[in-house]
Parts: sequence; C-alpha cells; structure tokens
Amino acid sequence: MNTLSKLSANLWVRVAFGVVVAAVLMVAPLISSKFVNYQLGLIAVFAVAILGLNIVMGYAGQVSLGQSAFLGLGAYIAAYFVTADLPIPDELRLPVSLLLCAIIPAAVGLVVALAAARLRGLALAMVTIALPIIGIPLAKRFREFTGGSQGTTVSWLRAPDWTEGILENDQWRYYVVVVIAVLMFVLARNLVRGRMGRAFRIVKENEAVAVAMGISPYRYKVLAFTIASMFGGVAGFMYLGVVQYTSPETLSFHTSINMVAAMVIGGSASILGTVLGAIYFVLVPNLANEINPSLTALFSGAILLAVLFLAPGGVVSLPRRISQVARAVARRRGTATPQNPSDPAPASVTTRPESTEKNKGKRQGQ
Amino acid sequence: MAYFIQLVIEGLATGSIYGALALAIVLVNRATGLINFAQGGMAVLSTFVAYALFNAGAPLPLAILGAVVFAFVLGAAIERVIVRPFERGDPDTAVVVTIGLFVLVGGIAAFFFGYEPRQFPSFFGLETLNLGGVFVSLRSLGTIVVLAVVVVLLQLLFRGTKLGLAMRAVADNPQSASLSGLPVSRLLMIGWGLASVLGVVAGVLVAPQLFVSPGMLDFVLVYALAAAILGGLDSPLGAVVAAWFIGVIENLAGAYIEFIGNDLKIAVPFLVMIVILIVRPQGLFGRKVVVRV
Repeated sequence: MNTLSKLSANLWVRVAFGVVVAAVLMVAPLISSKFVNYQLGLIAVFAVAILGLNIVMGYAGQVSLGQSAFLGLGAYIAAYFVTADLPIPDELRLPVSLLLCAIIPAAVGLVVALAAARLRGLALAMVTIALPIIGIPLAKRFREFTGGSQGTTVSWLRAPDWTEGILENDQWRYYVVVVIAVLMFVLARNLVRGRMGRAFRIVKENEAVAVAMGISPYRYKVLAFTIASMFGGVAGFMYLGVVQYTSPETLSFHTSINMVAAMVIGGSASILGTVLGAIYFVLVPNLANEINPSLTALFSGAILLAVLFLAPGGVVSLPRRISQVARAVARRRGTATPQNPSDPAPASVTTRPESTEKNKGKRQGQ
Repeated sequence: MAYFIQLVIEGLATGSIYGALALAIVLVNRATGLINFAQGGMAVLSTFVAYALFNAGAPLPLAILGAVVFAFVLGAAIERVIVRPFERGDPDTAVVVTIGLFVLVGGIAAFFFGYEPRQFPSFFGLETLNLGGVFVSLRSLGTIVVLAVVVVLLQLLFRGTKLGLAMRAVADNPQSASLSGLPVSRLLMIGWGLASVLGVVAGVLVAPQLFVSPGMLDFVLVYALAAAILGGLDSPLGAVVAAWFIGVIENLAGAYIEFIGNDLKIAVPFLVMIVILIVRPQGLFGRKVVVRV
C-alpha cells in the first residue's frame, strides 16, 4: 500500500498511467465487436450522467433522484435538433445540438433548483423524484417532439466520408462519445478541485459553517444542481448517439435510482469512483442477466447494501479500507510492529489529500 | 353534482391507499428519523405472501393475517439487521441504504414471483352501491373505512397504551428513554414492524386494482412520500389529510381540466407539493426544525 501510494504520487507514473489509459481507449474500439463498442459507449454515457449526479450528491451533499429526467431531456433535445428542418449548415448541426443539450437542461435544472434548494434532505429528494414522474407523462403528451410512448428512433452520427474504409459507424460513435466524456471529466475535475469544490464540501459538511465563512449554501446548491443537470443533458446527447433511440423509459425513475446506487457503489465524491460506478451500472446488470434475469434486481440491491456496510466510500475506497482493516486486525492480534504516530502507511494515506491541497495552493499562487 | 361527489369519493379511496403507506413512512420517520424508500417494496413482498397463502388454499382473511404477521417480522428484522448501523448517522447515507433496500426487496419479490402481474381477490367484492344517484363501489367505501379504522387504532395505541407511550418517548429522545429503562432497541423494532404492517394494509387494499407485481406500489410509494412530506413527516394526521387531499385533487384535476386529462393528472399533486413546500418548507402540519450548531 505504501509503495503503491508513493508510486501514484510520482508525476511520471501518473503520466505513464494516463498514456496507457488513453492508448487503451483509442485502440479498444478497433479490435472489439460492435456489441462491445456499444457497451463501452454506454459506459461513457452513464459515466457523464453519474458524474453530474456525483457533483450534486457526492460533492455538494444534496440528494437528487431526478438525474434520469435530464438524461431523457437531453436525448429528446438531441433527437429533435439533429433531425429537425433548421436553417443551419450541416457541419454546425452537431455542435449546435450538443450545445443545446447542455444549455436547455441546465436552464431547466436552474429553475427547479431555485425552488428546490430551499428545501433540505428528504423534501429535496422528493421534489427531485417528481421530475421523472412528471416528465414521463409530459413526454408521452408532446408526441410531435418525442414520438409518444413508442419513442423516437434516429439514424445519425454516422462515420463521416473521410473515414470511409477506416471506421465503422459504431467505432465513430464510440470516439465521439468518449471525446465528449473525457472533456466533461476534465471539466468536472477542475470544478471540484477548485474554489467551487471546496465550497461544495463545506456546504455538505455544515451549512451554518458555510454561512459563517461567507459561502451562501443556497447559491452553491443551485449551482451544483445546475451543473448536474447540464451533465445529465450532455449525457442524453451521448445516449442518443450510442443507442440511436429514446423513449419515455429513458426518464424512468428507476434509472435515477440505479444511477444513485451505481454512484455510491463506485465511490461518492470521487472522479475515479464515478467511472467505476458507470462500469458497474452498465456491466453488472448484463452479467446478472446472463446468470438469471430475475436475479438482477436482487444482485444490485445486495451489492449496494454490501458496499454501504463494508466500504461506505465505495469500491474506489476499497484498497484503503482493506489496509485499514488489515492494520486493525494486526493491532488486535498484537503481532504488528508497535504503531507509532508516524507509522508510514496511515501517514501516506492522510498526507495524500494534503499534498494535492498544497499543489493546488501552488497553482493558484502562480 | 353526482359525478363530482363520485370523483371525490374515488379520490378519497385512492388517497386512503396513499395514506396507509404515508402513515408507515411517518411512523418510521418518527421512530428512527429515516425516510424508508423500501416501505413500498416491503409492502409488496408481504402482499405476495398473502397471494401465495390464498393460492395455497387459505381463506382470504387468514391469508391477509398471515401477510400481516410476515410484514411485522420483516419490518422488525430489517430494522435490526440492516438499518440499525446507519441510524443516527449521516442521513444521506441512510437514504441510500433504504434505496438499496428498495432494490433488494423488489428483487426478492421478482425472484420468487416473477414480473407478470397476478390477480388478487378483493376483500370487499365488486358491487357498486347507488346512493341517491351517486354510484360508489363497495371497494372505495371499504378502503376509506379501513384507513379511518387504522387511524383510530393508531391514535389509541399512541395515546392510550403503555407501549405507545414508550414508543413516543423513544421517538422523542432515545437517550433519555434508554436511561429511564425503556428497551429502546426492541421498541424501534416494533415501530418498524408496525410501519411494515401499515404497508401491507395498503398493499392488500390496492392489489385487486393494480394486480400484484414487484413494481405494484412504486407509484403509490411516491404519492405516499409526497403525502408524508406535505403533511410534515412527523404528523400522522397530517399525512392522512395530505394523502386524501392528493387523491381528491388529482382526480378532480384529471376530470375537469381538459389539458390535464387522465395521463397528466399524476403531475398535479407534485406541482401542488412543490408550491406548498416552497411556501412552507416544514409541510402543512409539521413543526419547523431548528438546526443548532
């Protein structure tokens, strides 16, 4: 553990790790089947949606059960604008619709949050759970935009002509979606590591303290919600890109609940945890389906509860948690070397966030 | 006019079903300070027990009694085994725990009974009464009466018995209740068990109409949560009044406002809830919570 954390603190190791991840992300679609590319694309989609959820719930501490409403809204907006008869040139159509998929859900989220952020905890959870519940009949009602209960199928995001013979449609879609996801992750990482992230943490920790420090909890809650809605909308755009179809089912509050579960399982208030959560969200139901379809829900519930019991910080905190437990066991047995306060293992665990904290100060000081 | 009265009575009947589950939520919240998202799932699982017993040949009242016993044990066991470590901890984690329970209990029901909806016999039969031009189904009247009886019984329990007094003491202040010798742990289990029984009341009442399936109470749960929050979370009476209000207003809006119709009527109670919460964040009957630093 000690060597591991030392390694991960080394800049070159980090760079090398980043290069390896980037290379895997680049090469993966070229050697995988269509089905695998589809699944990878879905992981990117839900990683962005869960990232938004993590910002409002993990970082800012506000329970939100409405993320699927923004996912669905984004998907519908994309479906409408990529097919609608609009006086814009074809090459601008994609960026414009992506932009709208970010702006419109963010605006809706802002309006909802202006009202909802006055409430605390559970009332807030209720208001947010109302979003998908109101959204589904609305989506069915506005048939001309949404295609009603059947949903809309669009055929878009085909591989452009210059990639002919090199990339299939599914590979092109994968690249588009992954590029957007990477951009969103960089954005989120910068947000939560900066001033805003610190403000979120204080609002989550104690609102009275936040007020005393001159941070308006209300303003930051609204902000967190708006950002989460924007991420949801962008994820909706990506969803339509990968799936090419959306229906009121996309909005269903079960999706929201499963996203909350995936976020907690992956690791709340953690960027890496978000990715793990998205992998869980997409892959585990598939695996469970392979074994026995009627067991899927049972598995997800059991896994979520097991994580809450054993590693409340999510899967991402598991290595740290295991070393904690191992040390506690060793101490109880009395076989471990005497634990002095400067014991290297716990020290490295606690100094890690501090050192990033220091780096941050340096960066801001420059 | 007859049509209006009919709509109101139907609304009160659906409101009574929301009310039973809302009471369960309020009971749990008062005892342990949690919102139990799994309340509906637990009720469905217990309703499935009634279904299984009935299909095994038990008469309906006996089957329901079996489900009530099962529900009590289930609620108490869940409190003791799963929820206990998270009580008095971070409320957001506790919410996620009950969400996990919601998924898990639904999964158990799906594993044993599958996802196809199954028919469930009505306790009240299918007759419709004609009361001076107003057609009211016996089922609606029965549902309202059952909820009224439940409310009275709960009041008797909490106001008139030693057990109820002890439960109120634990809800009020678990530390001093424990210091005065009350078995806090057991009382919390009883509280969850009772709440679970209220849930199965809702489940059995609504099952003939919605058919039994793992997702049967999902929407009822959301309405019940809305009612509980609207009523103020710590007020049983408030929850029931809010549930009736939601049932009636939903029915009336769906019938009289053309734009809303049958499909959008689900949005009405939530819009009303949001507006009321913005004006009165503590709910209609709730006490304002003052957070001390």
